[in-house]
Parts: sequence; structure tokens; C-alpha cells
Amino acid sequence: MTSDASPQSIQSAKAAVESLAAVLGGGALPDTLASGDDPAAALLHDGGVARAVVGRLRGAGSGVGNDGLCRWLYDAFQSNLPELQLAVLRFVPALAGVYMSRAVSRKQLAGFEAVLLALYAHAAAQRGAGEPETVALPNLANPSVYHDAKVPPKTKAAELDVAVLSPALEPHGTMRATRRARIVGAVLELYHGKLALMPISSKLDFCEFCVAWAGNRSKLDDKPRIAAPASSEPDGGGAAAATEEKWRRVPLPWELFQPAMRIVAHCLLGPTGSDELKAQAARAAECLYWRAAETMDARALLATRSLVRLSQMMEEPIPEPSFSGGVENMAELEAMRANILSTKN
Amino acid sequence: MASEAEEGGEVHTTEMTTDDSPPSIVEEKEEKVVSTEGEIVKTSDGNAQESGSSSLPEGLSLNYEEARALLGRLEFQKGNVEAALCVFDGIDLQAAIQRFQPSLADKTPSKKGQPKSESPRSGTQNPATLVLEAIYLKSLSLQKLGKSTVTNKILVKHAEAANQCKSVLDSVESMFQNGPPNIEQKLQETVNKSVELLPEAWKQAGSHQEALASYRCALLSQWNLDEECCTRIQKRFAAFLLYSSVEGSPPNLASQVEGSFVPKNNIEEAILLLMIVLKKWYQGKTHWDPSVMEHLTYALSLCDQPYVLAKHIEEVLPGIYPRTERWYTLALCYYAVGQKEDALNFLRKSLNKHENPNDIMALLLATKICSEERHLSSEGVEYARRAIIHTKSSDAHMKSMGLHFLGNCLGKKSKIVSSDHQRSLLQSETLKSFTESIALDRHNPDLIFDMGVEYAEQRNMNAALRCAKEFIDATGGSVSKGWRLLALVLSAQQRYPEAEVATNAALDETAKWDQGSLLSLKAKLKVAQSSPMEAVEAYRALLALVQAQKNSSGSCKANVEDDSVSEFEIWQGLANLYSGLSYWRDADICLQKARALKSYSAATLHAEGYMLEAREQNKEALAAYVNAFSIELEHVPSKVAIGALLCKQGPKYLPAARCFLSDALRIEPTNRMAWLHLGKVHKNDGRIADAADCFQASVMLEESDPVESFKSLS
Repeated sequence: MTSDASPQSIQSAKAAVESLAAVLGGGALPDTLASGDDPAAALLHDGGVARAVVGRLRGAGSGVGNDGLCRWLYDAFQSNLPELQLAVLRFVPALAGVYMSRAVSRKQLAGFEAVLLALYAHAAAQRGAGEPETVALPNLANPSVYHDAKVPPKTKAAELDVAVLSPALEPHGTMRATRRARIVGAVLELYHGKLALMPISSKLDFCEFCVAWAGNRSKLDDKPRIAAPASSEPDGGGAAAATEEKWRRVPLPWELFQPAMRIVAHCLLGPTGSDELKAQAARAAECLYWRAAETMDARALLATRSLVRLSQMMEEPIPEPSFSGGVENMAELEAMRANILSTKN
Repeated sequence: MASEAEEGGEVHTTEMTTDDSPPSIVEEKEEKVVSTEGEIVKTSDGNAQESGSSSLPEGLSLNYEEARALLGRLEFQKGNVEAALCVFDGIDLQAAIQRFQPSLADKTPSKKGQPKSESPRSGTQNPATLVLEAIYLKSLSLQKLGKSTVTNKILVKHAEAANQCKSVLDSVESMFQNGPPNIEQKLQETVNKSVELLPEAWKQAGSHQEALASYRCALLSQWNLDEECCTRIQKRFAAFLLYSSVEGSPPNLASQVEGSFVPKNNIEEAILLLMIVLKKWYQGKTHWDPSVMEHLTYALSLCDQPYVLAKHIEEVLPGIYPRTERWYTLALCYYAVGQKEDALNFLRKSLNKHENPNDIMALLLATKICSEERHLSSEGVEYARRAIIHTKSSDAHMKSMGLHFLGNCLGKKSKIVSSDHQRSLLQSETLKSFTESIALDRHNPDLIFDMGVEYAEQRNMNAALRCAKEFIDATGGSVSKGWRLLALVLSAQQRYPEAEVATNAALDETAKWDQGSLLSLKAKLKVAQSSPMEAVEAYRALLALVQAQKNSSGSCKANVEDDSVSEFEIWQGLANLYSGLSYWRDADICLQKARALKSYSAATLHAEGYMLEAREQNKEALAAYVNAFSIELEHVPSKVAIGALLCKQGPKYLPAARCFLSDALRIEPTNRMAWLHLGKVHKNDGRIADAADCFQASVMLEESDPVESFKSLS
């Protein structure tokens, strides 16, 4: 991660850290942050920064038009430095989570919207105008690198079905309520693309919001509980003591449901190795399942049911080596063993 | 120095064996010689390396590396991972490999026609095998240790594990550069295990790109893996591709046959692999693993391809899934592609009393499907009741879902029953089950919406208005149909300016592309307010939008279809507008346009009849109306028009007129024009009291008539 950052980009990252420190107020950030070798990576991974920023994002009154933190996120993303953009994407879960929950109440959230629209525009530009993201469904009648097909080579390749994974991203200059889900969904897709680089705390944030979005309904815990006790520990800044806000359930059309589900799937079954994350993701997957059941949305039901089932399955272990045949020369070995072990230490 | 010379000697012997390959007996002898020679060499070599420390007797049959390998293996077997690691650490793989290379390579030529898996030194193993296995075990130990470590050294441990594992494979690869890898059994086993371990180790080390590469390498290189091992790797790779979110480049295209499938992205590659694994299972080459189907279900549902999924589930051999479960899954798939009848047939089988009649999810799905079709609504009511009875009382959520769908079915059913009494009974039952459902789950906006529509259809506009507002609050105004319900309810209350405000608010919240239905609503509101010029303006905007959509639909497919207004409807609306203003020529032009788009339409014929009637061409008008309802049997406006026309024709026709009007009211009890004309019929027939009732009904309905039927909402 500390790869080939040019001095100039380090300089910009340093400036970004300094301006963030100014936004968050004195003492919110560790002093060492800006002086490190790779301030952008520190922004992405530092737990103190995350707590301070997320705490502020969740705090009351965040996301309004003159929110300095949103301004900072916007500027940092528009700097076009990949490292800084990653650091901004790290906060997508909190940003999208708080925004969606509050937007339902139709609060003025121009600050959040500016950042989200910037991210959306970036996603649209990255994809290319009017291009949907498609998946060609393989047909086993055609050979592939992984298998041979018995068809004579002369026959034409069997036709492939093409599925649309994500429809084309139309340009949007403002956040209209009916397009909100699509815009946030596209931002989540952008986040999903960088998930492998995101710290676990960011993913945990997302799972938590996902539960709230879906409506807190999990058979694991009978009582609907108020989300967000996890990260509201005494935060480093102390400035924004997050007042407990109940995150509202939000409309989840497929365009938002699908990317959210993909992120949850990553947290649940991806190579993260964190049990805490897996547990949170399992909860989120279950909540999504019950949410899908409410409208009997078949594809969402099928997908989330599979996720829930997979989370309950044991992963097939890699077979342990078999030791057939006893070892000969036992005596010699015993002799050598003492020898080797004694020389080692 | 000494070792170099000896190695030279060894190479020499190798060459000799290569020279006289045919006689096998000689060869075996030779080999024995070679191997014993090799041993001696190694023993001395080991001693040289470990200068001084060796107190081992000369002539020992094990060398230093081998000994460590064996010893480490023992420790590993006992579970002393750390001790094993200690021992393994002393092995210098590179040096060992360099020495072993010839001793392994010499077997390659001697292979032909002879089962060579029994190595001459059948008791002990080939030293290379032993050492390679040791390194493999070393990486496995590192991995295990990594798992149990809590510190942030985990990644380091795993990375080391991966590197060790990789070195095993690299060594094997370099040893068998020439000639096909024909390896003795034990070594092959080590190779298999290492190939399998490597990507996992990379994965755990957080090096996802390396993991991706090593997965591909495992599957695409000639490792001679056994089927089970290969399948396991394919499964894990597929899962990795699906869930890791690693942006990987597609596999190398160097060796692609023409016409072969080349996955372009991770999901395509994952689906391909999963399909291959499934096929292997169909062919009996591997055991069943339920996770494969779950991964595939996830992947295909993600791409919204339930039909393909259904095909795969149908292919699964019997005995894997309980059939009711399979039927339920298939029903989900077919329902998702819109084949409701097929889906319902599967559920009917599954919910049969001999199968699994009380499966809640299947019952709920069946209810949901039935609630969407009028003719199935009675069946749906049965399913819903069963679901509600069998839901545990603690499970409020499920119960609420059941009641919600029950309400939908009852509402649909109330529209097809023939008697007024039954209808009002069903209507009150509908509202009751919605109310109960809401009591259990106050947060489901869809429920609130359905209830609002039901209230509106029952002409309880105040309650409907409350629901519409609540729905908009619950969804933050993000769902277009909420706005439309609000506007329609307001229009039904004759609050046109407010309805317009609501429509404009909705237009503000809607992207240009999806404004169709709102613009059409706006036009109708303008008509209702008797501002025809503004209505024409609204229609013009709508027409421009539809044309723009048509032009662009060439490039971006049919995703604008669902919520948009068709051009036909616009011309039809304009024709109605002009004919209402008695602009017959304009109306005619619009009708022609409409007819050009849709030749046989009840609405067009009805408008035509209306124009003819206005010009006193009663006979032709009647013909047009009759044609209209023969195209669409339940076309209410034409029935009403016929009734009205006949009523004017004199007392002889009154019974016929009454018949048509009653029929219209059967289909649409809230049609105020039908009530009005029925009143006229009664009046002309001398039944004044009946006439008064009908007129009263008509007046009441007029006060709650929306500009567009509420049916257009759902």
C-alpha cells in the first residue's frame, strides 16, 4: 500500500490531513498522522481518524449544506489522487447509511448529496457514458480455458445470454428522490469495487447500516434493537459525542438492494478472516432476506436465502496430509532430534 | 569443492542410464546404484554443511535434510506445530533441490511402459519427495500458526507460508521442465496439496492478486491433479471470484480455441466454474456439494437470471433436494421471470395435502402470486388463511405478511363477485386484514399504500389521503406511485389545484426520463379544471418525452418500458380532449394517429362513436360502440354509451338500455355516468324512486371521482 506515491501526491495527502484536522477541531487527530511516510494510507487505516470522522458523520446536524466535513470529503475525492479517493470511499458506509436514513425524513442534506453526486459522477465516468455493466452467461457447449466441449469445432459457438448486472448510469446533477436509490446504489457499487482495500471497520459500519435499512428484522434477535452501539465508544475526538439516533428503514428497490447485498456477501464469504465481521454480515444477510420476503421479491429472496444458507455451511476444509507408512530409522531419528534441537537453541 | 565433483559424477551416471534405456532389468540395477551413490553423497554433504555439529555415524542412510524432514513430520503429526517449524527451518530447499534434480530427472526417460510408482527404494522415500513434503508441511505449519496468532503478525506468517508453498511448486516445476511430469505417488500427493494450499495461504496473507494468480495457475497448469482436488480448487476459486471484490484481469487468452468462452470478468468466470463443477457432478465425477448450487443461485440471482437458474435446478438429480423444496425454489424462479402460472403450479403440487401443505413460505408465495390475478384471488384467500393459521403467534412479521397478502386477495376478489352484499362484505374484510397487518408491522410502506388504494376504491377519500401521505413520508417521496396516489385522491376530492401541486412536487423529484405517467396525470388534471390549452401543453411535453425515449431506445434497450406512457395513450387522450371541446377535425387527426399505432382498440372506437353521436349519426355511433365492447368485453365506457344512446331512442329500448347499464355497473360499481343514465332509464320508465336513488348515487360518486382510475396505480 505504501507503494509508489509520488512526492507531490504525498504533499497533497499531507495537506488533506491537515485540512481534515482543521475541520475536526483540535486534538481529534493524532499529530503523527500528517508527518508519516504515507498520510493517505494512514487516513484510510487509522482507527482514530475513522472514529472521529464516522462519529461526526453520524452526529446530529451532519450533512447539511455547509458541513465542513462533507466539504472536505468532496475536495479530497475531487483531488483525483487514488489514495485519497480510497480514503474517502472508506467512509461511504457511514455517509450512505446516515444519508439514506435521514433522507427518508426529507431533511435538507445538501452536504451529503454533493459528496454522493461527486462519487456517482466518478462512477459514471469510469464506466463510460450509457454503458451498462453486463455479464455474459457461459454456455458449457462452448469450450473454455477450464473445460473442453465435445462440439465439433466447425459448428458455430452457441449463443450467449447477456445479463445486465448494473444498468447504464445516466448523468444526474441533482439528487431527485426517485433516483436516490439508484445514485446511492451506484456509489455502493463503486465502494464494492474497492472493498478488498477497505479496512474491516468500514465494512462493519456498512453491515450495521444495512441491518437498519432493512428494518432490523432478524430471527437471531427477537427484539428490534437500536443500531449503532458498536462504534459510539468514547471517540478520540470527543468533539462529536454521537447522540443516539435511530436509523430509519429505507425503501430498498433492487437498484439499491443488489449492491448492498453484494457488499454483505463479500463481508460474509469473502477473504476477510474476521469473525466479528462475519457475524455482523450474517445478521445483515438475514435482515435482507426478511426484507425481500415482505414483497416476495423472488430474485432477492433467492439470492439472500443462498447467502444465509452459505453462512451456515461449514467451509470444506483443505484435506490434511495423510501420513501413511511408519517411519523407519526411528532410533537414528531420535538421536538426530536431540542433536538438532540442541543446536537450534 | 568436493560436492561439486560428486555432483558431476552423478550427472554422468544419469547420462549413462539415458543411453541404454530399453533393458529394464539392467536399468533397475543401475538405478539402485545411482540412488545409493546419491545417498552417500548427500550424507557427506550434509555433514559438510553442518560443520562440526554432526556427531552422526558415517554411512547413515539418512542425510541431514531428510532427517530434518522426517523429524519435522513426526512433530507435525504429534501436533507440535511450533517444534515442527523449528526443525523444518533448518532445511535449505534450494540447495537440496539442486542436488536432487538429477536423481529425479533420471526417471523420466526410463518411464516408458513401466509402472514406475514403486520406486526402487520402496521403504524409504525419495529424498526430494521427502524434502518437498517437509517444505509443504512447513508452510502448513506456518499457516496454522498464523491462524492461532492474535497479533498483527498474522499476515506475515501467512505470507511466509505462501512463499514456502510456492517454493515447493517452483522446485517441482523446475525439476520437470522437460518431459511430462511423471511423478511418484508421494510426490504427486505433495504437489496436489501444495497446489491447493498456495492460493489459500495467499488469501490469508491478504495478497489477493497472488491468490487469484495461483488459483488460475493451479487450474490451468499441468499439475496432473486428481479430480476431487481440482474440483475443490474450482469451488474455492469460484467463491473467491464471487466474493473477494478483487479486480482481476481475465484469464490469459494465449491458448484459446476459436469459439471458446472467454470470461470477461469475475462473475462470468465464477459462473463458468460453478457450472463446470455441477456438470462434473452430473457425470458422477465428484460428490454433491450443496454450496455449489447456493453460490450459483446467488450469482445468477445477482444477474437477474432466474430462468437459467431454474434450468440448473431442474437438472439436479432426484434425491438431492426434498421435492417440495425444489418445487418452492422453482416457483421462485418462474415467478421472478413472470411465469406466474408455472410458478403457481409448482406451489400447488408442493402445498398438496400429501406433500407439505403448511409450508409458510410456499403459502405466502402462492398467496402473493394469486393476489396479482383476479381469477386466482379466491385460491389466494385459502392459501393466506392457511399461512396465517400456521404462523407461530410469536412471529408477528410473518403473520403481518400473511394478512397483507390476504387483504390483497380479498380486495381482488371483491371486484369479481356478482352480488353487492358479497362485495361489501369482502371489502370490509379487506380493510380489516390490512388493519390487522398494520397493527403487527407499522413500518411496511407497501402495506400502507395498498390500504390507501383500497380506501380510495371504496371512496373513503379521507382515509385514503391519510395513507397516501403516510406512504410518502415513509418512503421519503422516493416512490413515484405514492405521489400519484396522492394526486388522484386529491383530484377525487375535487381539490384540483392541490392535486396539481402534488404532481409538480412529484415531477421535481423525478428524473426527466420517468416523468411520463406524471405528465399524463397533469394533462388530465388540466382537463378536469377546464383549462384545455394547458392540457394540450402538457400532452405536447409528454409527446416530446415519448418521442425522445423512442429515439434513444435503439441504444439503451427497453428499460424505460415499465413506467412510461405509450404514444397511443397520448393521442387517445388528445382525441378525447378535442372531441370534448367539439374540435372534431383535430380530434379526428388524433384518432387517426392513435389508430395507426394500434388498429383495434376499444378506446379508439369508443371515441369514434362519441364523435359520431355528437354529429347525430346515431346508428354509426351505436355500431362503433358495439365494436368497441366486442374487442374488449369488459369495456365499461362503451357499455355506458350504448345504454345512454338506447335510452334516448324511445321506450321500446329502455329494457335493453337498462341491461347494458347494469352490466357496466357490475364491472365498475363506481361509474357515475352509468348511475346517471340508469337513473334516466328509470325515470323514463316511470320508476321515480329508483331514479332518485340512482341520481343520488351518481352525484355522490361525482364528488369522489378521480381523474384517472385508481386501477392505474397497481
